[in-house]
Amino acid sequence: MRFAENNRISHRQLYRQMILAFLAPFLLCLPGKEGLLGKSGIVGIFLALAVLALYALLLLRMAPWYSDLVKSLGAVSGRGAGLFFLVYVILTGAYLARLMADLIPAVLVTGIPGSVISLLAVAVCSFGTCRGMQRRGRMAEVSGGILLWGIVLMMVLCLGQGRMDYLKEMAENSTVQGKTVIDGCYRFFCASSGLGLLPFSLKDVERRGKAGKTLIFGIVTLGGILIGTLLLLPAVLGWARLKEETWPVIPLMAGADLPGNVLARFDVLWMGFLLYSLLFAVGSIFHYGHQIALRAHMGTGRWWLPAAVFLMSVTEFGGKQIRDYYGFYLSFIFVPGLVILQIYMAFRGNMKRRRRTAAALLLITLLGLTGCAAIEPEKRMYPLALGVDASEQGFSMTYGMPDLPQATGQEKPEENGSIPVLSILGKDFREIGEIYDRSQEKYLDISHIQVILLGNRLIESGRWSDLFSYLKEEPFMGENVYLFRTEDPEAVLSWDSKGSSVGAYLTGLLENRLPGQQKSGVTLRQAYHQWYQDGTLVSLPLIVFEEEGIQVYLEEKE
Amino acid sequence: MEKTKISSNLRENEAYIRKRCKNCADILIRPMRLGDGPRVDCLMVYIEVAVSNMMLDDSAIGKMVNHFWEISPEQIQEFIRNNSLGIADVKKLPDMEAAFGALLAGNAVFFMDGCDQAMKISSKGYPNMGVSGAETEKVLRGSREGFSDAVKVNSALVRKRIRDTRLKVEERTVGVRSQTMIQILYIEDLVRDDLLEEIKNRLEEYEIDGILDSGMLEQLTEETWYSPFPQYQTTERPDRAAQELLNGKIVVICDNSPYALILPSSFNGFMESSEDWYHHFEMASFLRILRYLALMTATLLPGLYLAVIRFHTQILPANLILSFAEAREGVPFSSVAELIFLELAFELIREAGVRIPGSLGSTIGIVGGLIVGQAAVTANLVSPIVVMIVALTALGGMALPNEEFASAFRLLKYVFLFLGGYLGIFGIVLGIYMTVAHLAGLLSFGMPYLMPFVKKEEAGGTGEGILRLPFRKRKKRPVYARQEEKLRLRRREEH
Repeated sequence: MRFAENNRISHRQLYRQMILAFLAPFLLCLPGKEGLLGKSGIVGIFLALAVLALYALLLLRMAPWYSDLVKSLGAVSGRGAGLFFLVYVILTGAYLARLMADLIPAVLVTGIPGSVISLLAVAVCSFGTCRGMQRRGRMAEVSGGILLWGIVLMMVLCLGQGRMDYLKEMAENSTVQGKTVIDGCYRFFCASSGLGLLPFSLKDVERRGKAGKTLIFGIVTLGGILIGTLLLLPAVLGWARLKEETWPVIPLMAGADLPGNVLARFDVLWMGFLLYSLLFAVGSIFHYGHQIALRAHMGTGRWWLPAAVFLMSVTEFGGKQIRDYYGFYLSFIFVPGLVILQIYMAFRGNMKRRRRTAAALLLITLLGLTGCAAIEPEKRMYPLALGVDASEQGFSMTYGMPDLPQATGQEKPEENGSIPVLSILGKDFREIGEIYDRSQEKYLDISHIQVILLGNRLIESGRWSDLFSYLKEEPFMGENVYLFRTEDPEAVLSWDSKGSSVGAYLTGLLENRLPGQQKSGVTLRQAYHQWYQDGTLVSLPLIVFEEEGIQVYLEEKE
Repeated sequence: MEKTKISSNLRENEAYIRKRCKNCADILIRPMRLGDGPRVDCLMVYIEVAVSNMMLDDSAIGKMVNHFWEISPEQIQEFIRNNSLGIADVKKLPDMEAAFGALLAGNAVFFMDGCDQAMKISSKGYPNMGVSGAETEKVLRGSREGFSDAVKVNSALVRKRIRDTRLKVEERTVGVRSQTMIQILYIEDLVRDDLLEEIKNRLEEYEIDGILDSGMLEQLTEETWYSPFPQYQTTERPDRAAQELLNGKIVVICDNSPYALILPSSFNGFMESSEDWYHHFEMASFLRILRYLALMTATLLPGLYLAVIRFHTQILPANLILSFAEAREGVPFSSVAELIFLELAFELIREAGVRIPGSLGSTIGIVGGLIVGQAAVTANLVSPIVVMIVALTALGGMALPNEEFASAFRLLKYVFLFLGGYLGIFGIVLGIYMTVAHLAGLLSFGMPYLMPFVKKEEAGGTGEGILRLPFRKRKKRPVYARQEEKLRLRRREEH
């Protein structure tokens, strides 16, 4: 039985599909280094939105020609057009799968090979892609709104991290030039070229002729969110840093916390939302690939398409992987080709069970293979404070550990509360890491560091920038960590603060004040900002260690 | 199949019946001679317990027999031919198959010499438990009645609530050997014709030896048989069944089962309790939100816990992760194994709790709480936080109003547990994607399972959705009812 509601998708379902499929790729791939930035980026997007709105209306008129490419274009041209679209589908799927394969091990789940991530993503997204547009419509209907509002809410929560003076830097330093605006416009247009596949699905949309408004609304929503991001990013990260970040939306949430201190950070949730959108995009790619193959009379893309996408995502040609040449393909081959093809079409005018079990077994095996990546909480060491100084050998790094029984309130009276501090010397931070791995039983989890103490020798020698370069490569280091300077970091970290760790003590010193007494510390994010800005180190609060305790001077001590 | 005719010679009929009922000690064959003056031979056949002696003496048959003592055989035959014995609830049976069908359904069958038809004299039928309380759908407010094992009683309980001849009850039998009676209930002008046609077709689709419970019927007629999600809603509450009939749905009742099947079903329907309509809308809405949170807890909490402590420790405040680490100090198993161990232990307690006699039920609480919980923590087999996680997960599952629906999420929980444990938040997102994709593709009798969340027009006025509308705003019927009968509520002056 086919209930009438099932036959076609609604405009809202179409809109939500657009949001789900495009949002994460846009946010991840468009802003940042060599991408859309600043005023010219924003103007470029506005321009592209106007072009795309017109293009969307054109696509609506073209939909009937896409229903059977062979009928519309002839046997050879029809199959040629089908092949043209299929190549795009494969390369785009491979690009997105590779993006996940590169992104997830780098910022989310370390230790799992990228190829396994790619395979899992492709396998999951390929399930049921041949089961009709209605299913994708319903998926989008139930999850599209949650994703959209989730992302907008997080961006709103992140607003508190933004600073007006950072935003002014963007206003002052970025310019609106014809070439960069056109570049930005074309880049956004290329990124939106997936819209070119829409006519393949428009036959499944109810009241197709009136879908133009929905398409335009979808494009404007995506453009609006992207413009919001282009304003938020420099306000949070600073203009100079933004120009150097490949995926600037990733650290966007690294310093934000939820009200109520329920979660220390929510960048993992942010990544979760982005990943869902990426998976939906890959699923859509498979769905459209299958549709294209059918309409070009090339069989079904159900099985070979995911295989081709996976292979393309892991294969390198001459040392170059898909992410290296996808931009070139999109800008110089697909988009121009699409325009030519659509003009040509416009001128022509009138033209299951065993496999499932095997797949499930494969997935289970893959899960087993990934197991080595996880580390139990009790097998990690959680330094809450980090001291770094220059030494004769190079650097000394001191980790201030919490006294677990004391920190968790499970201390017994007879236990002697010695302060656990670990110091390691090495010629650079990499060597220190290697020494740690050779000598310590537990995995070093630096995601809970609350304060970093920089030794005066380190600051005076100017080698603090090496430290910043090292910290930038640590994906789990929060950017709301407070920085201090002191004569002897190790001595400060070894100080008995009577009840709490030095990290918690210093954080409390800065935060546990009434609004009138509010003192402002310097966070890692602020230090990065100045470092990217002019290569200097921001003035840090000074810790003076005396016999009776420590004192923090926020201003320069006389 | 060729039918065996009833002979006008009673001896032949008796021989045939005795042959078919050989070694059926429970079927009683009672010859008798009736009539004033010359007597006529008769035969009464019935199942011993299903038709009680008391009934034969006192009720319809007894009175009929007494009446026949006083009239001549010709008059008896005349009487039978003209007015079916002159008593209520008597049906003529044209052949032996019909006669045996009536007999095995628990009725008495009356044969008479010289008459080529038998008479079915309805009885109360097989013994059953009678009307009892709804055990699995308890409510604070609302009727305490629950369905029983007898299909006729069940349809009567629904009829008691909808006293309208537009409520139709169609009977049919399924099961070649079990000859189980099922009833299809619907309201004539509310039900969609295609839906009614579909359920009838599906019931005809298979030939099976026996149907012993509505659960068997459900699995046999499900469209997506491999899905863990139930595609029929079940209820043991007549008021719920009546409510769904008024929504335009169909109710299927199966003999020997206290659970009625409601179709089509939807995700949101499983999250509703019948008392949602008896409480004020604020409280009912709050409870529904709570149930959705419970569903997420029951499914995702163990997986999320593992993802956070094994991969994304940065998400937790430092004190919390330090507590977790301290609590796990000395536990010999990995956190995945630890959680699976405790989850399975809980499943064992639950399973034992269902099977154990009622008087021993409290023992299970002691065994579960003390031995598995406290002792396992003391012996350092598991950490206290995992006990909390399992307890919260279990509470989440128990807060769901429908057991079969909750079971699907109980299974999913293990999938998420592995995904979260081995792939972190990436695994959780993969799992959510797969679940949403599966649910989006699932149909219950052609109706999207995710209704009303995927409804194309706004669900305003129907009362569907997570929040419950105030009663006065619930003016329309949901999508399941016929379009032309959408209106459910209006003020009298609007007539």
